[in-house]
Amino acid sequence: MEVIWFAFFAVLLVGYFALEGFDLGVGLLLPLLGRTREGRDRMVAAMAPYVLANEVWLVAVAGTLFGVYPALEGEVLFALYPVVVAMLLSWVLRDAGLWFRRRADGRGWRGFWDAMIAFGSLGLSFGWGMALYAAATGFAAGPMHPLGLMLGMVVTLLFAWHGWTFLAWRTPGEFGAARPGRALVVSGAVAALPAAGVLAGAMPYLVEHSASAATLNVLSLMVLPFAPIMLGAQLWVWRTFRPGKDAFRLPSFF
Amino acid sequence: MDVLDLARTQFAVTGGLHFLFVVLTLGMAPLVALMHTRWAMTGRPLHEAMTRFWGQIYVINYALGIVTGLVMEFQFGLAWSGLSHYAGDVFGAPLAMETLLAFFLESTFLGLWIFGWGRLPRWLHLACIWLVTLTAYASAFFIMLANSFLQNPAGSVARDGRLELVDFGALLTNKALVFSFPHVVAAGLFTGGMVLVGASAYMLRRRTEQVEFFTRSMRLGVVTAAIGITFTMGFGYAQFAGVQDGKWDNVGAAIGLALMMEVGQLLGLVVLLVMLPLIRFLPRWRWAYPLLVAMTPLPFVLSIAGWVAREVGRQPWMIWGRLTVADAMTPGLTAGMVTASLIGFAGVLGLLAVVDYVLIARTIRRGPREPDLGAGVPGETRAPALSL
Repeated sequence: MEVIWFAFFAVLLVGYFALEGFDLGVGLLLPLLGRTREGRDRMVAAMAPYVLANEVWLVAVAGTLFGVYPALEGEVLFALYPVVVAMLLSWVLRDAGLWFRRRADGRGWRGFWDAMIAFGSLGLSFGWGMALYAAATGFAAGPMHPLGLMLGMVVTLLFAWHGWTFLAWRTPGEFGAARPGRALVVSGAVAALPAAGVLAGAMPYLVEHSASAATLNVLSLMVLPFAPIMLGAQLWVWRTFRPGKDAFRLPSFF
Repeated sequence: MDVLDLARTQFAVTGGLHFLFVVLTLGMAPLVALMHTRWAMTGRPLHEAMTRFWGQIYVINYALGIVTGLVMEFQFGLAWSGLSHYAGDVFGAPLAMETLLAFFLESTFLGLWIFGWGRLPRWLHLACIWLVTLTAYASAFFIMLANSFLQNPAGSVARDGRLELVDFGALLTNKALVFSFPHVVAAGLFTGGMVLVGASAYMLRRRTEQVEFFTRSMRLGVVTAAIGITFTMGFGYAQFAGVQDGKWDNVGAAIGLALMMEVGQLLGLVVLLVMLPLIRFLPRWRWAYPLLVAMTPLPFVLSIAGWVAREVGRQPWMIWGRLTVADAMTPGLTAGMVTASLIGFAGVLGLLAVVDYVLIARTIRRGPREPDLGAGVPGETRAPALSL
């Protein structure tokens, strides 16, 4: 049972990196590729239908961390206190940027929230690298360790590349390149590598610190039957918003 | 303030902000789903307009519900790791279920509903908003389940200095849960109904051309508010049987309780004995509009008062009779750390909350003509989208 829940937790975290990675990547590229307001609108519109379905993987990671690894949840988050706070604020500003950018007219308004999307995406991507390095050392190294900062840079670049591949798949030619779905799968897998590596190293420790058998049994009974529904809902999103000639026909809410 | 007070303030601020938006989400989700159902069945433009206009207010409100919720979820680990150390085996399970069974699906289906406009077949699109409503209620259920465990730690025993889960069924039938969950849900409906009434009164006062639109909205709001306040009061009184001894000895809790009950009952009388019987005429009485607008913030104040009564009344316990709030705080947490994060969270979320309310007010003032939600649906005559 501990191994099943480790697998569940790992799928959620790896899935978050592979999926939300391209949303953050598009956010990072916003000031670089979206020189005009129309360009930025198109970039945001390309990722908009996926964002809600993608970011929620991290909410699920946190919930699973609490339910399956209650002894570690506090230690992990507290050890990274300043990084977690900065990442949360980045996440909040990125989301606010998406929800608010089109809710009022005016160049300044949208420009400000676009900057918040880019800024938030940067904070979140960089923070992930720092957090992963600290986790890989068992929190022996602080988040500001030079190697942590380097991994922050690596994750940021990986996400940017993943976001660029996503744009080339969803809006072929619009931002310079066209890529098939296979390329997006590859960039997603590569973007998830840092998280997968840390998880693989931490597996014995995590399995050992799982919640009690009684708790895992209740969780399994309640949650696992719904796993196919969760997967089905995600597949429905990808089926509904697959690229096609109507990708830009409708204005985006974000 | 010492570090404990700071950490409590931080949780109270984010929790309070979160619930201000969640209570309206809970109330508006079924109303928007109802409007969408009528649109799907009749195809009438009026019902489409109602779905899009009130749907847009619902989703703008939802944005702040999400971001405040994110901060809350992570605060357990940041500031209250003593809780997960002592009771994580019991308390963690409902929170995990909330994220996996409820919010994961809610967020996915909400994305499909918002961006599936004009893409999804009519009935599948309708199914999305009902699924959003269902999962939003599931979310509220699991959160209330977790909160009720703090009020009354059922289904668990202390062993080796930690709580162990022995009976999940006892968590589900917790006396602190069975009446408080419907109480909260009904309070949400009451809030949603009163927002429809207040916004409609505001627009009718401004002599909008959309008289039928806002007359219908106001009547739907009055009926919803009447149902909501009836069950809020009923399940509110029913809760007294399950309240812990000594809860109201706490002055803050007693004040919250008194405020909620006195103002709530007065509002209940106005809704049930004046607004509901006069529902036919109310939308035409211009003199009543300012009063209806002025009543709109009250359900929000009452909701916060209710939480103050429930949570302040729990002090000094984190888990009633088992773990104090002081013992639940993360060891090693310093006042400097909490002060910095408190300023960051309260500042950013507070500003965003103000912006969100301004945007909701602005959406109401613009009226139902051109909401962004569902814009550009084929078959409507309008200029091609200038921005995409």
